[in-house]
Amino acid sequence: MNNETKKLLLVGDNPFHGISHLSQERARVRGNTMTYPKYAADLVITSLENGANGLMFSVSELTLSILRIIRRMGGSKRLRLYAIVPYAYEYVRLGVQIGMPGLAKKFMKQIVVSRNVRAIAMGLKGVVTVDPVAILKTYLIYEISRIKSSAGKQANLESVLLHEAITDMALAYNLDWLFKSYVGFMLDLGIKPGFNTRNFTHLLNKFREWNIDLRETIIATPFNKVGFQMNPSKTDCEKALANITESNIIAISILAAGYLKPLEAVNYIKGLPNIRGVAVGVSKEQHARATFKLLKEKLER
Amino acid sequence: MGLLHASILNVLPSVELKAVCDKSSVILRFSRKIFGGVNVVNDVEKFSGLDLDAVYITTPIFSHLIVTKNVYLNGIAPNVFVEKTLASSYDEAEELCNLAQSFGNINMVGYMKRFAVTFRKAKELLDQDTLGEPISFEAYAYSSDFFGNKKSSKGSSYRGGVLRDSGCHLVDLALWFFGDLRVDSAKLESLTEGHSEDSAYFRVKRSNALVGEFNVSWCKENYRLPEFCLLIKGSKGIMRVNDDKLELNLDIGKSFRWYRHDLNDNVRFWLGAPEYFREDEYFVRSVLEGHRAEPSFHTASKVDYIIDQVKHRAGRNE
Repeated sequence: MNNETKKLLLVGDNPFHGISHLSQERARVRGNTMTYPKYAADLVITSLENGANGLMFSVSELTLSILRIIRRMGGSKRLRLYAIVPYAYEYVRLGVQIGMPGLAKKFMKQIVVSRNVRAIAMGLKGVVTVDPVAILKTYLIYEISRIKSSAGKQANLESVLLHEAITDMALAYNLDWLFKSYVGFMLDLGIKPGFNTRNFTHLLNKFREWNIDLRETIIATPFNKVGFQMNPSKTDCEKALANITESNIIAISILAAGYLKPLEAVNYIKGLPNIRGVAVGVSKEQHARATFKLLKEKLER
Repeated sequence: MGLLHASILNVLPSVELKAVCDKSSVILRFSRKIFGGVNVVNDVEKFSGLDLDAVYITTPIFSHLIVTKNVYLNGIAPNVFVEKTLASSYDEAEELCNLAQSFGNINMVGYMKRFAVTFRKAKELLDQDTLGEPISFEAYAYSSDFFGNKKSSKGSSYRGGVLRDSGCHLVDLALWFFGDLRVDSAKLESLTEGHSEDSAYFRVKRSNALVGEFNVSWCKENYRLPEFCLLIKGSKGIMRVNDDKLELNLDIGKSFRWYRHDLNDNVRFWLGAPEYFREDEYFVRSVLEGHRAEPSFHTASKVDYIIDQVKHRAGRNE
């Protein structure tokens, strides 16, 4: 089985950021342990030893330091990386505290400090010509260089996915040019363009309308037995999934944020067509071991 | 918030996004690039003549009065949605209610928690008398938005202080659940340097002896996302409800728990949270069908009234 046909079994990073979509209270009760980079890196390594073959993560200082620790621990070899940008929470939080102009200044300063000449040049062009695509490209170059320098050469950055806040807002505004520019730019970089969405059927319909080739992209979207975050409905999402010809869908929220038991969650996913892989967050060593053993056993057969 | 509402509206089949207004020249330049055929202007008066059916006002709270007044007095649109809170004070809110009555048609304020499935379920259970007569409640709204900040930031004053930013949602929910309340005692705190309003505690009463307590802060540790919660004691049991779940413990020994998952939380288009879609869809339907939308200006003005009372009791009259 090569990488193209092997199921993607990705470790998700939500617990590392202190996120629980089942209940914010639950995330708080768990405490801060999981947000320690070394603890999180150990969990990723344990998951990799038990069947996981990659990591899906939002690009933040925390996840970049986790990547650096994994590299030092020798875990980066052939590690398949699926990066989500931007880390919306951090930008929203900063925007709240320092305002949008302050956030823009801070971001540009970070790019300048990074000394990434290509990013600086493209960013300047974007600002001067008020070109959203140039600014997007600047941002992507900056984030990709941060990921690569943290993960090292042995890791494989397979896809960069646009965060759902960007994907779904661009979708709502029918910004076909933004999707097309993004896809083209990422393909030129040799990285699969990805989209994180909570509006899977809407996205598929628009991609067909805009002639965006699904085979060239990766889509990460919720699929779970109880239809949690599957919009407009579980039935519609299942139908849409059955009607595509490519297996480029990564199922997220398969445990419906901890609402489902792993076995019932995995049995549901196993019955779906066109699933390229799954991303699952883990918070304890035992949890990591049991979950990825189960996923490997059930989904790779 | 403007971008979010505009996105959702653009997906609704009966809506056409016609115009966008912003004061920032940078945002205007980018908006022109992004929103192809949409009118992008720097002054709300330039909406005149566009024959708009409705306007969404998502500017900072201190500007709600002037912008909304402009919309009504210039006949820009008869139907108006204003993000919470309706105004900076009850006096201003009252003025807007009068203007709406004279010049407007459908009006609504963006208290989106009412459209969250857990709070809706709580309202349904209270209306069905499942909990019996409400005796007391404790409510909190906590976030870490400004946790660790030593100086008060532009952001905190721009958002109108913690009461208008997040406390207002709790007050609206309490008014929705229990009816009119009056403030008994109140304390406001500034946890950062300067005059910002970072934390609030206040007690309320209702005429038939119901008592309630509110705790509000945006400087709490470990509240990555804002959390809104009410613990309600009734003559038949206790109910605890937040954004994620609802727990009901009845004195007869029965217990129930509902998560969002159990309450049909899917929407036609998901952005931010499902409640935003429900809120916008409801407002648009109210406009199309010509029926009153809730929370209306009048309903929402009661939140401004309570906030004014809290400030008065805490000795912070502005």
